[in-house]
Amino acid sequence: MRRPLLPAVLLTLLPTALLAPPAFAQGAAAPDSAAAATAAARRAAQARNDSIYAAKRVPPGEGFRVFIVPDMEGMGSVVDIHEVIAGNEGERYKPLTGPDYWGHSRDLMTQEVNAAIRGARLAGGRSFVVNEGHGGNMFANVLPWELDTAAILVRGYPKPLIMITGLDESFGGTKGTMMFTGAHATAGAPGVMGHNFAFDSFTVNGKALNEVGINALIAGEMGVAVSMVSGDDELIREVKEILGDGFVPVISKYAVGRSAAITFSPAQVRRELQAAAAEAVRRARAGRLKPFTMSKPYRVEFMLRRSFPDAVVQEVAGYQRWKLEKVGERTFRYTTDSARDMGYLLDAIEATVLK
Amino acid sequence: MAAALLAAVPLAAQQNAQSTQPPRDTTPPAAYYGVTEYQAAREKLERLMQPAGFTVYIIADMEGLAGAVRNATEMKPEARGGSVDHERFRQELTDEINAVIAGARAAGATQFVVNDGHGGTLFRNTLPWALDPAAILIRGYPKPIVMSTGLNPKVDAIMIVGAHANAGSPGVISHSYAFDSFTVNGKVLNETGIAAFIGGEMGVPLVLASGDDQLVKETREMLGPIEAVPTKIAYGFQAAAVRPLAAVHADLRAAAARAVRRTKAGALKPLTVARPYHVRFCLRRGYAADDWVRTTVSKFEGVTPDAGAGQGCFAYTTDSAEAVGNLLNLVEWTVLKP
Repeated sequence: MRRPLLPAVLLTLLPTALLAPPAFAQGAAAPDSAAAATAAARRAAQARNDSIYAAKRVPPGEGFRVFIVPDMEGMGSVVDIHEVIAGNEGERYKPLTGPDYWGHSRDLMTQEVNAAIRGARLAGGRSFVVNEGHGGNMFANVLPWELDTAAILVRGYPKPLIMITGLDESFGGTKGTMMFTGAHATAGAPGVMGHNFAFDSFTVNGKALNEVGINALIAGEMGVAVSMVSGDDELIREVKEILGDGFVPVISKYAVGRSAAITFSPAQVRRELQAAAAEAVRRARAGRLKPFTMSKPYRVEFMLRRSFPDAVVQEVAGYQRWKLEKVGERTFRYTTDSARDMGYLLDAIEATVLK
Repeated sequence: MAAALLAAVPLAAQQNAQSTQPPRDTTPPAAYYGVTEYQAAREKLERLMQPAGFTVYIIADMEGLAGAVRNATEMKPEARGGSVDHERFRQELTDEINAVIAGARAAGATQFVVNDGHGGTLFRNTLPWALDPAAILIRGYPKPIVMSTGLNPKVDAIMIVGAHANAGSPGVISHSYAFDSFTVNGKVLNETGIAAFIGGEMGVPLVLASGDDQLVKETREMLGPIEAVPTKIAYGFQAAAVRPLAAVHADLRAAAARAVRRTKAGALKPLTVARPYHVRFCLRRGYAADDWVRTTVSKFEGVTPDAGAGQGCFAYTTDSAEAVGNLLNLVEWTVLKP
């Protein structure tokens, strides 16, 4: 059954900041009026398109629905940035790729997703949506030709609510659930390749949220609960602190360095993912999982990564759509009643950073 | 061992490279990962291990692999100046480890931990997807006690494949970490010997080594009659008569099985060295000539110059072999740091 499109009120919350004009370097010549008009027209078209994209829904599915967000840093076996970067993501990523990314990591990633789907199916999962959660190769890491043939795959960039594009209420309650594979620990944590979007720190109501936590909060507003998370031991410890013990954890590896870990056979990790996904679906169908919620309004505070140039900070400070309060050199505060709106803010920041 | 630590770079070339590089970061080594955040590696591995059974800890190096002779093309990937042959030798490394695991298993070993100990791809050489699926694989860099990460008293035996002869020895791509010499209480130790020393303190014997004939000879002199598989006969630093790979694999299976049986029978003992351990080492000539490396090493806690032995020579006294392992970590960090 097709559900109605997003309510009109949400259409007003579209990610206009994605359209923020390029930041001109100080001292650079201002564009002439013709160029400015062209840019304005382009921004208007982009805004229209973004509103269309954000309102779209993935096709409906019959039976219990599973939404899977695969990332790479927390996968089994991989430990080093050269194993998760394609080298085409921007100038500074060029030297950071390696043959193992192209030859093996994506295959292992796809097989991990397939294992989760197999397990979920055994416990009654019938409809599967996989949304690329890893920025390598601009969110095109999972191999479409190797992915379980029942799954819809959301890939590419930019896309609205980057890590949960296409998630909606149909994955909530006892009719569906959400899973993360290959997730990684937060910025500054002693996990393998730990980071958190574009931030050195990110808190809501004073509680530190990692990428899983941020997306779980947005999903929670849709009534969707996280039922399974895989990643290294540090990530699992973090997620338990954020979400509690309701979800099924899979420790894919044990961090012994930022780029070193005690790892297991990929076949072993797949076996564990399959069993965990089955248990996760059983818990969801039995109504034993609660969506992650926090009290409103959400008082969001974040610090942009120290490694970003000042231009990034300035552009974020200049967002028209969000009233961000600058409370430190690169720290901002923002209050909202909508986690989805917070998600669009993160989209905008990601666009600023990746530009 | 670490690629940067393989064949010494000619001194002139190194100095030349330095003159064009910006000044190096001199962050104190206390900030180095393995020594601070990740001391828990040993506890993490220990908790993962089965309480019973027989555990083999396998150190994976590459210079001593069957077939391998060339440092420049075979020991590191294309991206780091090597060639596609490195990929083929990653497979050979994995094959040799699998042979050792198969042999050990046939003799009753029940658990296998593999620690990638070669810097070619920054300790990511073993192929996870081709490794015996029963094995735990420790990979990546930096990691605590580079070649002995996570080693603990629950391990029953250490084995090393692809090992190479000591710095200055007449073996294929012979070297030892970043050193020209390394002794504990006057006893010369190669990389395999150092691993045996760290394991020995925990009561874990090193029971099998494979590498060229020189590695086999010198390691037996250090450790006694352990099992050993010669993979090739060294004819030079980058030349050897190499044996058929399949024959080496068969020998590794048989030797690993014998090693487990002899360990169970108590015939192979841990290496013991009297305390305190007086460590003396000289940095490799190229590193010894590097003011920054020399100065950084001299600032490590407890390290004192060994002036009588020459420039870049140091002494260190401790009661803990793990502390020696951490010292190796710091030296590696110093010379590998870009």
